[in-house]
Amino acid sequence: MTLRLHPFTALTAAVCAAVVTTAAASWPFSVAVALAAVLLAVRSGVAGRVLAAAAVIVVPLCLSLLVLHGLFFPEGHTVLAQWGPARVTAEGLAFALELGTRTTACVLVFLLFSFTVSVPDLLSALADRRIAPQFGFVLASTLTLLPAVAGRLDRIRQAQETRGMVVRGGLLSRLGTLRLQMVPLVLALMDDAGSRAQALDARGFGNPGPRTSYRDVADPPAQRRFRAAALVLTAAAVVARLVASWPGGAGS
Amino acid sequence: MSQPALTVPAPGQAAGRSRRLLEIAGAAAIAATYVFLVLTQPADIANGPASFSALVALGGFLLGAVLLIIAVLPVLPTSTLVLIPVALVLNVVLGQLMGSTGLPFYIDAIGTVLIGVLAGPAAGAATGALSSIVWSFFNPTVLPFAAGAALIGFLAGLAARGGLFRRFYLAPIAGFVTGILAGVVSAPIAAFVFGGTSGLGTGAIVSAFRAMGDTLLAAITKQALISDPMDKAIVFTIAALLAYALPRRTTYQFPFVRRFRVLAGKAPSAPDA
Amino acid sequence: MTAATRTALRARVDAFTFHGESHPALRDAALSVTPGSLTAVLGGSGSGKSTLGKLLAGWLRAGHAGQFRGSLELFGTRLDFHGAPEDPRINPAEWSRRVAFVPQDAAAMLSTVRATVAEELAFGLENRATPRADMLRAVERTAARTGLSGLLDRDPATLSGGELRRLAVGCAVIAEPDILVLDEPLASLDAAGAAQIAALVRSLCGNGTGVVLLSQAADRLAGEATHWTVLDGGTVTAAGTPAQLTGSAELEHVGVLAPGSPASGAGLVAAPGFSAVSPGAAALELCRVGFGYGRPSRRRPDPPPVPRPIQVLRDVDFAVRPGEIVAVTGPNGAGKSTLLRHFNGLLRPSAGDVRVCGRSIAGVPVGTVAASVGLLFQHPRDQLFERTVLREAAFGLRQLFGKADAEDRARAALAAVGLPAAAEALHPAELSSSRQRLLALATVLAREPAVLALDEPTVGLDRHGLERLGKAVAAAAARGTAVVMVTHDLNYARATAHRILELDAGSLREI
Repeated sequence: MTLRLHPFTALTAAVCAAVVTTAAASWPFSVAVALAAVLLAVRSGVAGRVLAAAAVIVVPLCLSLLVLHGLFFPEGHTVLAQWGPARVTAEGLAFALELGTRTTACVLVFLLFSFTVSVPDLLSALADRRIAPQFGFVLASTLTLLPAVAGRLDRIRQAQETRGMVVRGGLLSRLGTLRLQMVPLVLALMDDAGSRAQALDARGFGNPGPRTSYRDVADPPAQRRFRAAALVLTAAAVVARLVASWPGGAGS
Repeated sequence: MSQPALTVPAPGQAAGRSRRLLEIAGAAAIAATYVFLVLTQPADIANGPASFSALVALGGFLLGAVLLIIAVLPVLPTSTLVLIPVALVLNVVLGQLMGSTGLPFYIDAIGTVLIGVLAGPAAGAATGALSSIVWSFFNPTVLPFAAGAALIGFLAGLAARGGLFRRFYLAPIAGFVTGILAGVVSAPIAAFVFGGTSGLGTGAIVSAFRAMGDTLLAAITKQALISDPMDKAIVFTIAALLAYALPRRTTYQFPFVRRFRVLAGKAPSAPDA
Repeated sequence: MTAATRTALRARVDAFTFHGESHPALRDAALSVTPGSLTAVLGGSGSGKSTLGKLLAGWLRAGHAGQFRGSLELFGTRLDFHGAPEDPRINPAEWSRRVAFVPQDAAAMLSTVRATVAEELAFGLENRATPRADMLRAVERTAARTGLSGLLDRDPATLSGGELRRLAVGCAVIAEPDILVLDEPLASLDAAGAAQIAALVRSLCGNGTGVVLLSQAADRLAGEATHWTVLDGGTVTAAGTPAQLTGSAELEHVGVLAPGSPASGAGLVAAPGFSAVSPGAAALELCRVGFGYGRPSRRRPDPPPVPRPIQVLRDVDFAVRPGEIVAVTGPNGAGKSTLLRHFNGLLRPSAGDVRVCGRSIAGVPVGTVAASVGLLFQHPRDQLFERTVLREAAFGLRQLFGKADAEDRARAALAAVGLPAAAEALHPAELSSSRQRLLALATVLAREPAVLALDEPTVGLDRHGLERLGKAVAAAAARGTAVVMVTHDLNYARATAHRILELDAGSLREI
């Protein structure tokens, strides 16, 4: 069953999941959310990319959390081991665990969103809701520009090598070659941007006022209700957390 | 049959006021959130992962960043707007290239600073915030730092306006000060949302301070004060070098550069009548 | 009928100066356009044609892009500009709805934020809040006119050059403008693509649109125009009907390519006689070189639009002697650029060996081979990075020749390509595209390599540029440099090269 999600539904779901995970402050909950995200990624066929991207982000973070809070946690009382100034405390480990799982869950949820959302649909939905088209433009233009830049940098590097630039090891030489590559890249990008701005203005991009969309994105009422419900639930969770942990109140 | 006019009137003043209010509201949200967090930082974080502070930090800073974007974005001229994707691409590409040289700096704000220098503080702030939002599509951990990135762009624009980019040795100083402010403002996010680390290197510095008994927020603020100013000084220098490497025609097309004489060099004389 | 002959657009430019410059880019130019007519503005590289075109279409506006003094009159509405802050501010969207412009680089027209050709066409209409039903009809109609009907679902980034050009024209005409300005619409198109664009232009004129053609060559399409205006150095030097101006002195002086085949005719330096008794070994040798791209990646589910030959070079045996000029031609995509990239090691052969001056370059880094092999790319912008022209030419010479010599050699190279001493302090990005290509050539010549490889050197050069290129290449060959040129312009190859080879299906043969 392939459900065509309205991009706002996916976005609301991701944001609400992340916020509720942050408000819940319980590592079993975070783990559950992370697993749910992975399952959904598998269902959508993007599990490979999501897990790869998440690993690059999350693994160094969790490792350093473990080292930092596992070994140095002055607020901890239950000491498990001690080597000089480093004390392994249960509270520190618990803190690292809570934060690590929370961050992992949030990262997975957002990556799932960004790898499954269809950017043209998102732009169309933004135009329907009268959200400033400039935001959608920046988003889509960046996503188009990034892959092209890698190719461009390669061509520039080849051109510089042809002019006698030899890439040796050594910090100063590497920094020197950077300069040779950066200026043509920046110049080319800014020139292109300049012409593009003129074309966009000519095609009416700078017009204030409403826009229509060529692409049609369906927004069934069931998804609208889901979004509303999710937002209400999230707000309730946030309020509950704020009330429960208000400084000076009971507990923290 | 009335045709839409071929000309537009000059921009009015009333629209400017509501924009200004939104900008101030955004900045105020960020400042108020910071003060609140410092005053209410949990004395005993052993009792939980600081969810309260995390929610407040995220909510306040992101609200401020969004208000700034709403205020600034619709009035940015198209010629500035098309540069924001370029700035983001530069942030990413230069950050990765510098990372490959092995120096212990992030250097991922060059595009933002360049836009701030060429198009002004408002454009710089919008670029910083938008860069974080768009980059979060690839790395969601960047999103909470949107307010800090906006601050960097804003201060870069202010420095350019004050003429600090006319001399090469002043640009790194401006970067140093910006690094101090941006690092301090971003510290609560690093502390409460991410638990204090963004990598192994910075984690070591924080560990040292924690071993001395500092609270998490204090330790992270001190670490930020150590690494951020140098990083931003380098970023400002590179952005200044790039701005001067561009031809006159490209840089002088920006009204901000012309009006505040941001770049050194003889301003071209008025064309003959 | 008065309606048909009523002038649609009348422009008078007293002076237009970009911000940040002290000399006007355009001076004392005037142009009138009537509906249903074809007008041509001819001029060499850097003459200001694109600036004039953008000014007509509202892409460059008074106050926004520069200081403008003159007047624009569109269907009776007259706007006067005095270079003061109170001048009228043109609404670019509204003006472009009446006067549309298609830039020389077709990709610059695209919004880059639309995923299919159909959406890209509709972008302008979306911004004007056109109802969806109207947009669907307009897209279909425009696609039929520009021949894009089969491409509506394609990603604009995957289009070929000719298709991109048609898409750009489609984006401009979808709003049904009264006047269309086209900047070099036939540049870098092959014969089929050029014919399609020419047919499109004729049909637009037939429908009552006034078309203004900006061109560097007085080709067949320009010959069909009713009126020619010749621009040089930002000002109009001649105006009249094609019959009056063809072959006239002004046209030659300005650097417009003569009618007929673009690069042939007078002014080309014939290749100096090449003695069969050549001294010594070949400067460049390819011995049984084979090269192919790997298996197509399995990740991509959809097949690439153009099937790529797996084996690009097959058993290629090729030698160039010092002082010889060889031209390599062949159909697009045959791998001519790939061949050139083997000369200095950017690509390494999967079989066979490449020898420069008798020594194999296998394993030698590209930057070191660059001392003997100079390669000029198709897009000179990728190769230029210094702040002034002189520094650009002098780059790297200090290591090769010593500090004292470096600047002199740089100046000599600049003079060899015809760049005046006055241009030395300019920023390379401020040069016209023709001069940028010559500057890139100068940077390569300054190093005095043993082998000179040129990738499509004639593209974008006006007549002066072509002359200078011919002279510089001949001088280099006379000095003993081996020159290899990749070009699709057979006439230029015949006129300048000693030997012509064709690369077809992976192997070279002489023609």
